[in-house]
Amino acid sequence: MKKMYSNKLVIFSLVLPGLLVFLFAILAPICLSVYYGFTDYSGMGEAVWVGLENYKTLAHDTKFFISLKNSLLLAIGFILIQHPIAIVVAAVLDKLQGKAEGFFRCVYFIPNVISVAVIAYLWKFIYNPDFGLLNNVLKAFGYQGQINWLSADNAIWAVLVVLIWHGFGWGMLIYYTGIKNIDPVLYEAAAIDGADSKTTFIRITLPLMVPVIQVNVTMAIISALKQMETVYLLTGGGPGDRTQFAANYLYQQAFKAFRYGYGNAIGVVFIIICLVVTVLLNQVIFRQRED
Amino acid sequence: MEYAGKKKNPLSKVVLFIVLLMIAVVQIFPLIWLVDFSLASSNEMFTSGLLVIPEKIQWGNYVKAFVDGNFLLYLKNSLLINFLAVFFVIIISIMAAFACKRMQWKLSGVVQTILLMGMMIPIHATLLPNYKIYNALNLTDTIWALLIPYVAFSLPQGMFLMGSFLESVPKELEEAAVIDGCGIYRIIFIIVTPLLKASITTVSIMTFLNNWNEFMMASTYLSTPKWKTLPFSVLEFTGEYSSNYAVQFAVMALTAAPAVIVYIILNKHITKGVAMGAVKG
Amino acid sequence: MKKKLVAVMMTAAMTAGMLAGCGSKNAAEPQSTKTSDTDSAAEDTTSEGAGGTEQSAETAGEAVTLKIFSNLPDRKNGQGLVEQMIIDEYMAENPNVTIEVEALDEEAYKTKFKAYSMDGMPDVVSIWGQPSFLDEVLEAGVLAELNEDDYADYGFIAGSLEGFKKDGKLYGLPRNTDIQIIYYNQKMFEDNGWEVPSTYEEYITLCQTIKDAGITPVAMDGGDGWPMACYLTDILVKVAGTDYADIVSNAVASGDFTAPEIKEATQLLVQAAEAGVFQTGYDTQDYGTAQNLFTNGQAAMFAMGSWECSMALNEDIPEEIRTNIRAFTLPPMADGKGGANDIAAWNGGGYAVSANSEIKEEAIKFLNYMYQPDKLSKYGWENGVGMSAQDQSSFMTGNETELQKQVVDILKNATSVSGTPINDCGPSAFKTAIESEIQSVSNGTESIDDFLAAIGAACK
Repeated sequence: MKKMYSNKLVIFSLVLPGLLVFLFAILAPICLSVYYGFTDYSGMGEAVWVGLENYKTLAHDTKFFISLKNSLLLAIGFILIQHPIAIVVAAVLDKLQGKAEGFFRCVYFIPNVISVAVIAYLWKFIYNPDFGLLNNVLKAFGYQGQINWLSADNAIWAVLVVLIWHGFGWGMLIYYTGIKNIDPVLYEAAAIDGADSKTTFIRITLPLMVPVIQVNVTMAIISALKQMETVYLLTGGGPGDRTQFAANYLYQQAFKAFRYGYGNAIGVVFIIICLVVTVLLNQVIFRQRED
Repeated sequence: MEYAGKKKNPLSKVVLFIVLLMIAVVQIFPLIWLVDFSLASSNEMFTSGLLVIPEKIQWGNYVKAFVDGNFLLYLKNSLLINFLAVFFVIIISIMAAFACKRMQWKLSGVVQTILLMGMMIPIHATLLPNYKIYNALNLTDTIWALLIPYVAFSLPQGMFLMGSFLESVPKELEEAAVIDGCGIYRIIFIIVTPLLKASITTVSIMTFLNNWNEFMMASTYLSTPKWKTLPFSVLEFTGEYSSNYAVQFAVMALTAAPAVIVYIILNKHITKGVAMGAVKG
Repeated sequence: MKKKLVAVMMTAAMTAGMLAGCGSKNAAEPQSTKTSDTDSAAEDTTSEGAGGTEQSAETAGEAVTLKIFSNLPDRKNGQGLVEQMIIDEYMAENPNVTIEVEALDEEAYKTKFKAYSMDGMPDVVSIWGQPSFLDEVLEAGVLAELNEDDYADYGFIAGSLEGFKKDGKLYGLPRNTDIQIIYYNQKMFEDNGWEVPSTYEEYITLCQTIKDAGITPVAMDGGDGWPMACYLTDILVKVAGTDYADIVSNAVASGDFTAPEIKEATQLLVQAAEAGVFQTGYDTQDYGTAQNLFTNGQAAMFAMGSWECSMALNEDIPEEIRTNIRAFTLPPMADGKGGANDIAAWNGGGYAVSANSEIKEEAIKFLNYMYQPDKLSKYGWENGVGMSAQDQSSFMTGNETELQKQVVDILKNATSVSGTPINDCGPSAFKTAIESEIQSVSNGTESIDDFLAAIGAACK
């Protein structure tokens, strides 16, 4: 048995496809990015080695910092708005029984299965000040003004709303599953002690959900960092650069401004930031769990 | 769970129900709005009402969307690419997970970490270099240009889930199989794989959900309609029918429809699969 | 190896194309190439070598697939329709040629064009004869040189080829003469007793009146950036008159945009935006949205180039609006150097052939076919697309739309023509910067000085 399970050739053949995919689709492009990040390649013609020039420019590039700040805003928005609502709704849903429970769970999740391409265009129409759904709703309630939902000051929040709307079902579902996994005996004990549902939620549900919350928060931060598709279609990073995100910015620089080399430099820094943030978050969570 | 509701009066239950209903409306109303206007004519959009009752239901919008939007071709492409991606992810991740969790070799930990690293890499950072690579290899505008990155970025998650499920599969079965003279490949595909049914479902659903709606890579790596996928048709159409909103709405509704219908039918399984994947992840 | 692979793929594509040619006339239909893939395997060997380096048109009868990359996604209206008509005609006349079109709207087109130019482009492509687009493209040598003498009889308007040249060599041909104009809804004007303004000050007052009536004065595509930059160009022409070109080229060369004229023009733009001349949210709305406001009677005017003259013939637009679209140019200012007939106009879009095309000869043959005066220019005229870059006087029938006649008059009466709009005068990094910064400056989140400094920095 042992001999068979340590046959080098067999092991190699088993991990080879996975490694090949990794090498070809992830490692190779990263290496290429690192190389081009050191050049002034415009996308055409010759690539000239410029050393750290791109990285020096990047260190002073306010637009890149705006994109990082936007990621941070988005992450905070997820954590402070989306997740509290999701967890409360999940807890309430858990108490409902029968058809209603299944119905709501299903409806909440529907936006999640729709393509971002559709979602972004749809919300472009919803936000339209002249005939969009949102201003028409306000009109129905008697408000007469015309709100510009994608103005410089509102745009980032408008993006956040779309993302919350789109991702709500996902977050809710995870909390919902977590709550379902809580041992009913604990609730029974609480009920015997005379606790009402609010106390039960705060004393039992929430503490037991801490690991799930940690995972969800980590995912929220990372997805805020990686945001691209929605802004690419909804605002293109504008107005100005108010809704700029790193991925969108590097794409614009490479394919629009003829700065392929610079775009790759942004890509490299972007990858490093994602790696560092992921590792840090895991560290924090791990340490807490060990405590 | 009657016990929790015991102390509640009926009123608060009604309030709760209304709140849940309101959230449901928020989640679903934009889609109703979408379908509603897709059946109207373009200039009917400029009303101040929430919904319109079209003067005449414009089925023609859908005909245009269906025909000019190449709906069937794009649907076929989407289905083919996604099924292939799921297939490859499952095979490769079972093999790799087995090798890393069960086989005995020094580097198993290192290789596993390397393969899982993919989870941390932002997918969009690879758009620029991959474009260059695929171009050099003449892969742009072929099915591989989508299949390779789709598999690559779903693989880490697949492997992670397979790995954690594999740990709960008892080793005794394999030992018995070894005594019966089974080789490793037989053990993996005949003995172990059927035991991983639950995680295979989960990985399939997650992979499908991740890639079905992807359009950034599709729009970067593809040029002719030959392999374009459904989300792409929306991008293409808004340019083509920029002066006809209703047709744009029809194409959006049509693009969203397959996924929504399948979801509603398989709702229970998908919910379960996602939940399982999310909790493990 | 790579060459060989290309050859095999080409052969397959061609054979497929030939077979498909019988079944379907429309090359844009993707199914046509699909279905025949399998049965073409046997014939691959017969046309061996067809995919070699130079596949010329002389070997008539051999299947050729010509790939066209176009910035005109709407194939049923306006310019896109014209392009498609010529393509269909060409395929009918040359049964061995199959033409495949890939079309994306302007922004997506330019992005993808740059991506394509890294390694291999389609055979015939849309281009812009402007520094922001062409400088880097020509430097990289991705476009094929054309023989200028071939076009002596094509009736190109004097000077219209200049933007497409480098070191005296010609690399592309212009499609249009574009004029920056303001479309207006004549019926709406008449119903409300509004007059077409004759001075800039009257124009601003008019906008205020329209706004007070609860209607959007001017629909503006601010989300894309370039239409607003063209509008700024128009203002600058009215401020600086014939000095426009010099002022802008000096600014781009030195990276210093603080010239008083540029400053004043920017200020006028900002003031107009502040006063609510444009629709709410103009700075994030795209082309289609702005246009639809106008074509659905929600906005009284629409600032856009003359290529949109085809609106008058677009069946998707309600008839009572379509037949009432008229145009004027931005009126002169009391203290500006530009007169009413100093207009913002340029030869922008056009076509070129890829230098690396495997079927360059065939591509050039098609290009020349397209530019025969009775093709692009004539069809464009008949479809109300606006002005071509060729002499169109012989096509006048008297049945043109009112809008078309107006635009012809505008050009005919012009005392000076500005040339390239400001955003296209510098390198593409400058173009990207100004088209994004112009949103910030117009919506008031950035000061005019910061705006001028930012776009100047992008020139260096």
